[in-house]
Parts: sequence; C-alpha cells; structure tokens
Amino acid sequence: MAPATARATLEALLRDRKLDATLTAAVPLPEQEADRLASTGIPAFDGPAGGFPRGQISEIVGAVSSGRTSLLMSCLAEATRRGELVALVDALDRFDPASAAAAGVCLDRLLWIRGDEGNRTRVVGRAIKALNLVVSAGGFGVVAFDAGDVSLHALRSLPFTTWMRLQRVIAGSDTACVLVARAPLARSAGGSSVRLEPRVPDSTAFTQRVIANRHPFLDAPSPEAGARGRAPRHASAAVWAGDPHAAHRLRGLAVKAHVQTGLRSATSALEFGA
Amino acid sequence: MYACLLMNGWAAEIESPDLVLLDIAQQYSPRVAWTGEHTIVLDLTGLERLFGNTRAIGESLRGQLADRGLQTHVAIAGTRTAAHLLAVSRAGLTVIDPGGEPAALAQLQIDVLTRISAVAPDLRVSMHGTTRFYRSSPVQELVRPRRRVVKADGTPRATPVAGGVLSEDLLTTLRRWGIRTLGQVAALPGSELAARLGADGPRVQALARGEDAAPLVPVVADERFEATLALEWPIDGLEPLSFVLSRLADPVCAQLDRRGRAAAILHVELRLVTRVSWKRRLELPSPIKDPRVLRTLALLDLESHPPPAAIDAVTVRVEPTAARTLQHSLLERARPRPDQVSTLMARLSALMGEGQVGRPVLVDSHRPGAFEMASFTGEDDSYAGPSFSSANDEHEPVRAPALRRFRQPIVATVVIEDGRPARVRVSAHADTIAGGQVVACAGPWRTSGDWWAASTWDHDEWDIGLDSGVVCRLFRDRRKDRWYMEGAYD
Repeated sequence: MAPATARATLEALLRDRKLDATLTAAVPLPEQEADRLASTGIPAFDGPAGGFPRGQISEIVGAVSSGRTSLLMSCLAEATRRGELVALVDALDRFDPASAAAAGVCLDRLLWIRGDEGNRTRVVGRAIKALNLVVSAGGFGVVAFDAGDVSLHALRSLPFTTWMRLQRVIAGSDTACVLVARAPLARSAGGSSVRLEPRVPDSTAFTQRVIANRHPFLDAPSPEAGARGRAPRHASAAVWAGDPHAAHRLRGLAVKAHVQTGLRSATSALEFGA
Repeated sequence: MYACLLMNGWAAEIESPDLVLLDIAQQYSPRVAWTGEHTIVLDLTGLERLFGNTRAIGESLRGQLADRGLQTHVAIAGTRTAAHLLAVSRAGLTVIDPGGEPAALAQLQIDVLTRISAVAPDLRVSMHGTTRFYRSSPVQELVRPRRRVVKADGTPRATPVAGGVLSEDLLTTLRRWGIRTLGQVAALPGSELAARLGADGPRVQALARGEDAAPLVPVVADERFEATLALEWPIDGLEPLSFVLSRLADPVCAQLDRRGRAAAILHVELRLVTRVSWKRRLELPSPIKDPRVLRTLALLDLESHPPPAAIDAVTVRVEPTAARTLQHSLLERARPRPDQVSTLMARLSALMGEGQVGRPVLVDSHRPGAFEMASFTGEDDSYAGPSFSSANDEHEPVRAPALRRFRQPIVATVVIEDGRPARVRVSAHADTIAGGQVVACAGPWRTSGDWWAASTWDHDEWDIGLDSGVVCRLFRDRRKDRWYMEGAYD
C-alpha cells in the first residue's frame, strides 16, 4: 500500500472513531471563533493566540517566577469579569487569594479546591480526581489545575490514560482546561501550549515604596549590620515614599512567552505588574 | 358559590374543635379560609359534579359536621360575605340561589354586622402531629358513646364588639338615622354615606350588599414532608442504604413537587440496632426537590460520618421552602444548577476533606495570607451582567505579579551583607525552590499584629531576586529571630 493511501486510510479510521482531533500535524486546525476562546486580557498573549480554546486542554509551562501563576490569574480574572464561574484545583495549596483579588479575580465566582503538602503522589492523584469531578460537572468557564510545584516524577507516574480521559470529558464543552506545570504535561490537539521563560531580575524590577496600609514609617537598614543569619539592625532614619496607592512592592515580572496552538506558534514578551 | 360554616357548639371530648372544622372543610374543598372565630368559608366552585347541587352539598356538610360532634350553622351564597352574614343570623342550613343575595340580606337586622369578626384561630402549634380524620366503620358508629353537646361560650353566642366589623358608635349612628335592616343600609346613596361616615360608610354598605372586599386566601396546611421505613432486617453499609434512601426520597420529593415546594434542610435519622439514633442534618445551599440529588447528598454525608452500627429504621425528613424560580439570560453563559453545585461540593468535600473546598474570602486583617473559606454556591448576586470591556480599554487593571504562597513557610538561611540579604539557602523543598545569590532586593516592610493573642506575628518582609531567576518573598520573624521563605512570585 502506498504511503499516501495508508495515511488516508489511517485518517479515515481515526475520523470514524472521532479521534481526528489528534491529526493536528496533518490537518491544520480551523480558526477558532472568538466565542470559543477564553481570553486572558493580555494583548501580548491574546494577540497571537486569542486565548485558551474551550473544550480543550491547554497548558502553561515554565519554571518558578516565569509568570505562570500571573498568566493564570489574568485568565481567571478575565473569565470572572465576563460573569463566568471558574475553578482552581490547587494541588499543593499554593494559591494566594489576596494576589488573585489584586489581579482582578472575582473571588465570589471562584471555586477553590485545596490540596495539601502530604504524600505528593497521593496528593496529585486526589487532585486529578477533583479535576475530573469539576470538569464533568460542567458550567465552569475556565478550570485550572495548578501543579506548578509538583515534581515531574509525581506527575509522570500518573497513568498515561489520565489526560486522554480528561480530554474525552471536556471535549465539546464550554470549559477551557488550563494546566500549570514545570514541563510539558498534556495538551489536547486543539489546545494551546504556553512556555514561559523567566528573566533574571535586576534592581529596576523592585520598588522601595511602603505599602500604605502597613507601617507608614519604617526604619532603614543600617550599613553596619551584616552578620550571617542575623537580622539587620535598623537606624532611625525613615523611608517613606508617600504614595498611598502603592499596591505592590515588586514592580513586575518580565518573561518571554512561546505560544503554540496547533501548527501556529508565536513568541512574545509579557510583563506582569509595572 | 361559597359555604360558610359557623360552629357554635361541639362535643365535650373534642380537644380542638377548630381543627375538626378545618379538617371537614378541607375534605370538601382545598380553597378554605377562616373568616372569624369558629367560622370558616369554603369555595364550592366545581363541586357540583362530585356532590350534586348546592343544597346537596350543604346537607352533606351538615351530616359530616354532626357526625363529628359539631353544632354549626351552614349558609351557602354567591359571595363569602353574604354566606357569612346568613350563617351568623340563621340556624341550620340556608341556601341562597345565585342572584338572591340582596333580597336575602335585606331582611337581616343591622346588629348582625357587630357579630361578625375577622379573627382567625391560631392553629400553627396544634397542627403538628394531627392525623386526617376518616369515617369510621358502621360497627364503630354503633358503639360510639353518646356525646354531650355543650355550647362554646354561652348562649346566644355574642362576638365581642371590638372584633366586629361595625363599631358600637357606628351602630348607634345608623339607629339614630332610623335604619334597622341591611337592606336600608344598602339603599343609602354611597357618596352621601361616605361624606358622613368617612371610609367606614362604603365599607359597611358593601357588607350590607354582600360584596366581598378581597379575594379568598386559602389556608395552607403546615405539612410534614417525612418518610420512614422500618427495615425487616438490619442493614450494614452504605450501598444497601442507598436503595432505602431512594425509596424514601421519592415520595417526599413528589409531595414537595405537588405543593410547589423544595427542600431547604434535609434530616436523615437512622435508628441503629444499638437503640441509638444517628442523626444527620444537611443544610442545602439552594432549594432542591430532585430525589436523586437528595439521596446522593445524604449518602456522601454518611460516607464522611458513617453510623457505628447496623441500621434498623431510616427516616428522611425535609424542611420545605419555596421552590426556586430561575430566569436565564441570553447574554450570560449557562451556569451549573444549584443542585449540581451541591452535589459537586459534597463529592469534592468527601474527596479532599472538610474545609478544603469552597470560595476564598478576604478578611479584614493585615496578617499575611489571611483568608477564610466560604461555601461555594455558584450564585453571585453582585454580578450585573457581562462587561464588554476588552484588554485594550483605557482602564485596564494593573496585573500585579501573583504570589505562590507556602502555607507552611520554608525555613531559610540568609547571609546578610550591608544590612540586606545577600545569599539565601533553602534546605527543605529543594525540588520546589532553590536558593542562590541575591541579585536584587527590596525591603524590609515591617508588619505586626494580634499582639494580644497567641497568634501574634511580627515580621520584616523582603522581596528578593535570585541569580537563578527566582523572585520570592522572605521574612524575618522578629520574635524568633529566624528567616523564612513565604512564597514565590510567579
């Protein structure tokens, strides 16, 4: 049998079994309608990708401080702004509600499922079950699975059918499933994969402003303090920027994002904060 | 047509004659309302096919009332007011054909208006635990002891003037005008009557003409939504219990559905073989009347709180509330139904543990990472509709870098140079976050609070950037003089 014929036969068989979504390498995906995308509200991301496709599994991949959580929070904030319900399966209980509220997430529309720091393999197994329950229930605009601090060993010990089963559950629904991990984990054929790279921070990334709702005057560290493991002894001089609206002390995170959806890929620079 | 039953005496052994009267009335019509003390009105519309003409209905009512030991006046007329006035003034059975009310009322003395009141008995307490009355067998009729009939509170029964619709002063005024009958009141010119008596004038005239001032508001019985099943053999385990719960939840939910009600609180009571009663109470986040959902919620709760012994009897009781009505929006994406959310929350709580699932709520505290968990219902009253703003809007919100917070702060070793962290080493959680050389930092920000409680804190916080690219938040516990890593910006 000629290779072309064999390929056509194979593709026909896959279509019969409704597995043709896996033929992304052969068949270019059609342009997604805007209604079928969960936008993140970040022009640098939404420009090339349009957002995370609904009914698909997408992933945000990167190291610590690469902006994974900030991108996820932005996506959740945009979804709650549209009036959708969102869910976050937090495998290791890393979610900070104050940060999410500052990012614009409406906490009233957020279902938070908290894991714990126990046995990582068991924790991941329970989190996956919770993710399946939430996705099966339906009605959520975005369902996120945060395994950003889970070791790759624990994630890869999951049965390989886990993500395929999840994809079968979510296919055709209005839910965008977003996974956060250190390394590529699972992405359905029509989903997006965002790989983020951190940049080494410099002093311009920080601000010396004092948060207004805390102590307005604070002792500056004295230059003579410096013993190993010892706290700085403070001089009497006060540092006060006088800006009562300073919301955060870290100016921002600058990261580089590689977005891939089907055969399309794009690279852009993202900056959170500032 | 309406029938008015006015009770003026009852058998001595009857403890709650009003309940008996209500029970008999509800056996004939669901549209029943109290119009005064010991007085009840029935809507007879549509009963002709069941009981015959109005006179036959009246005879049947009188027979029932006499069988149950009640002495009553029964009047049937086209309006409730006419039936009430006739029942007050005439003993026995009075039936007025449609259209004959003005003529029938015209002969009545105006004193009758002082004898009708709008006081309804309070039956809310005594309604519980009563059973419906069914006619006993003929044998029981024979052995039934002869009942002594007593008057309710003297003869003739006089309703207090304060409770009547016509005050003594108004009655005196009408008598001074030479008016003696209701027909004379009905014939007075309405505008002149209102000019002299105010709002009481038209009201009294409407009563004299037998007109109803308001529609009938039926009495709704305070029903119990409960089902019990005593098991022949004790059951152990939740799987057989699910079948029992299904069998009990089905009739309860059907009863709820018939009444347009839904469950607000679900009580499951298990009588164990140890003679202990195992009670569970589930407050449902939204009104539910789906038996499968109720069964699932009860089972999930019992999975978390299993009974310690085998089960002898199962009781399911529901506290009802008004059923939920929902208006869907064309502009908003469909949300999960409340019963779906309830089931999902129960399943997730059973999987992840109590308190691990819900909706975060920020609390009014400066404590780092302070929050509370609240139940997630999927309802959001604050949502006013979709906003069509895009990311290109002028008022784009500032996206602060998010913090990944370590619930248990990681102990860190920090080298200080020139009063600032210069190097950080983290021993534990090396797979999560690694230390390194500090390339940029900002701080310290001092935060403290709750000095009056054991949960006090006193921190100096730093934001640091490491040479590995990690940006994290450190703090020094000033009370313990130790460094911790609070979280990582990500």
